[in-house]
This record gives sequence, C-alpha cells and structure tokens, in this order.
Amino acid sequence: MNKSLPERRPFLLLVALLSSILVLMSSQVRTIRGTTLLEDSLLNVAGPFVRGVSGGAGSVAGVWGSYADLRGVWRENQVLRSKMEQMEEKGREGEEFRMENLRLRELLDLRRSQEYPSIAAEILALGSAGQSRTALIGRGTRDRVRRNMPVVNRQGVVGRVIAVGDRVAKVQLLIDPSSGVAGIFQRGRGQGMVVGMGDEGCRMEYVSELENVEVGDVVVTSGLDRIYPKGITIGVVSSVEEGDQLTQSVMIRPEVEFRRLEEVLILLRPETAGPGQELLP
Amino acid sequence: MNSLWRGIVGLLVAAVCQLLLVRYLPAVGRSVDLFTVLVMFYAVTRRRIGVMVMGTAAGLAEDLLAHTFLGMNAFKKTLVGYLMGMLGSLFVLSQPLPRFGVLILATLLEALTEAGLVLVLGQHLVLPTATDLLRLGLGNGIAGILGYWAVSKLVD
Repeated sequence: MNKSLPERRPFLLLVALLSSILVLMSSQVRTIRGTTLLEDSLLNVAGPFVRGVSGGAGSVAGVWGSYADLRGVWRENQVLRSKMEQMEEKGREGEEFRMENLRLRELLDLRRSQEYPSIAAEILALGSAGQSRTALIGRGTRDRVRRNMPVVNRQGVVGRVIAVGDRVAKVQLLIDPSSGVAGIFQRGRGQGMVVGMGDEGCRMEYVSELENVEVGDVVVTSGLDRIYPKGITIGVVSSVEEGDQLTQSVMIRPEVEFRRLEEVLILLRPETAGPGQELLP
Repeated sequence: MNSLWRGIVGLLVAAVCQLLLVRYLPAVGRSVDLFTVLVMFYAVTRRRIGVMVMGTAAGLAEDLLAHTFLGMNAFKKTLVGYLMGMLGSLFVLSQPLPRFGVLILATLLEALTEAGLVLVLGQHLVLPTATDLLRLGLGNGIAGILGYWAVSKLVD
C-alpha cells in the first residue's frame, strides 16, 4: 500500500537532512585532484546538463552560423557569377579579337604577296537583292579607292568595286550575275569567262569542247580582263556539261565563302581598266 | 517551555557537560558521548521528526566542539536517531534496561555509520578498537540511565 505524504514526512525529512549534511561534508573533503568532493560531485552532476545546454547552444549557434555562412556564400556566389559572366564576355571578346587577328594576319600576308599596293577594308554589309550580290566596304575615294579595282581575300577573288563614295564603296561580288572575270584552267590552260550564278556559284563560258576539263580543276584569273591580276584563284570545277555551239558548260564552285566575308583587300591597280574597257559578258 | 526551547536547553546542557568532562575528566569524557545520550532520549520519548532534528543539531554542535568534519556526527546522529526512533515506535522502551540496550546499540550503529561515511568520502579509515567501542557504549548507557532518571525527576 502506498503511504500518504504525512506518513512519509519523517522519511523525507531524513533524506533531506542526510543529503544536506552530505553536501556539507563533501564541501570539506578534498580529492586527489585538489578539488572538494562537493565540487567534483557538482561537476559530475552538472556536467551532462552543462554539456547538453552548451551542446544545444552550440548546435543553435552552428545552425545560425551555417545560415549566416550560407547567406555569405550566396552573396559570394552572386558576385562570382557576375565576375564569371564578365570574364566569359571578355573571353568571347578575346576570341573575337584572336580570330580577327588571324584574318588580318592572313590579309597582311596576302597583301605582302601582291605585286600591287593594296588596302584592307572591312565588310560593312552584304547585299542580295534578287540575284544581285554586292557588298559595302569601309573604304572610299579618301583611301584612293576607284571603280573597277579588284577586291580579293586569302581564298581568292571576291569581286570588283563598282561604285565609290567618300568613305565607302560598293563591291560587285564574283557570284553576282552581272559579274564577269576572265579565267583560265590552271591545269589545261584553257580560257573562258567566269560569270556569276548567284547562290549556285559561277559558270565558265566560252570553254571550247576540245578543252580537257575535269571536275576539281582549279580556275584562276587570266588577267585578260585588265581588272584582276593574273593568277588569283577563282574556284574549282564542280561539274562539266556539254554546252551550245561546240562549247562546254563548266560550273565552278568559288573558293571564297561569300556569306562569311569580313575583311577584304582592295588592290590599288593604277592601270585598272575603265568601264568601257571591261570585258563584260 | 515549549519543545523547541527544551531541546535547545538540553543541547546546551549536554554541550557544557561534555566540554567539562573532556576538560576535567578526560578519561570519562572519552568514554561518554552526551550528545548521543541526548538524541537517544529523544528517540525513546519523542516522535521521529523531533529525533532527527535533535540528531542533526546535536551532531553539528559536537562537530563544532570536536573540530572534526562538520557533518560527520550530524549525519551519524540523524540516521541513528531515526532508526532508534523507529525502534521506539515498535517496542516499549520506557524501562531503564531497554534504554540501556538502545544506547549501546546506538553507539555501535554510530561507529558503523562513521566507518561507512569515511569510506564513502574516500578518507583514510581508522576503526576504533572493540574495547574503546565497548567502553563508549557502556559509558553512554550508564550516562543515559542516570540522565533519563535525572530528567524524569526534574519533570516530576
């Protein structure tokens, strides 16, 4: 049977008194560590509690610290992202400069290899109205550019200047249907007139059926049109068909990639033929 | 005079007598513990709560006077007083002989308790000889019988 509280009172009082006396005694007894027994006991009793509290506090502090760190990391991440985007932009710009540098080097090499003085020009715009294929370049009369001056790049013939402004000039591309360039097969030495076919490339006309022409033959300028210097690459033969009146219809794939034109070289030929002297088809 | 003042007076008388005995009759003073006698008087005549309170007070007083560990005698006397109080509630201890036995038993229990406490506290244990223990028991018994008789005469 459970005893009531009044019945238990003496025992509870005994426990309380003895505990108090034990505490009193413990405060006087020194352990081998130099601390009192009371201090040791309190330490042992309070230790887990203190550890728990400090552990809890540490955990809270840790969570808060992690949160603060996370905020810091997030901000740092934003800054780094921004910097990375800037670096990527700079990288792209750098790559662009590198590519431009390569193209200009090639152009410079080409310029040095030319027997005529020349001037580099930037393509400002490519025009294609109907079958017409032209380009606007950033050079004009101020740069001594005149009509009918040949325009080339490292791959070969680009076209010729057909109109000149003060600072800009209009170039008729090789593939323009109105364009005509005197060409010669590099291997067979047969000659003809290369005319533009728009996006289909060029066609070489007036090629005798007796000429030994094969697909892959290289066609270069012959110089007979008095516009383009002799020996500049026009393109390669892509197909050979029978033409009219004992001629062959020879299709040519230009070496120049007209859709990717960016810089060109204008050959400042003093003896460039006038309009009336051009060998137009 | 209420029980509190009676207890205080009894405690003072026991303390003074113990001091006088130790001072002027050292052999007798070493053979009797008047604080134990006082507590056991409470054990056989009072309720347990009163016994324990007296045990604690008497023990602390003895500790102060004897310059021992403060609490050693208090612990002993509180615990033994409680146990003797329980014994008193179970048996009739109004006659001198049972009371004499209670005093001897209490003396032995106190010695045992002290030994246990010393061990628990990690102190060096020095057990009293059987002769010393017996002499203290007999001294307490005789002092108790005389004291209880004197008190009863005073009350009467």
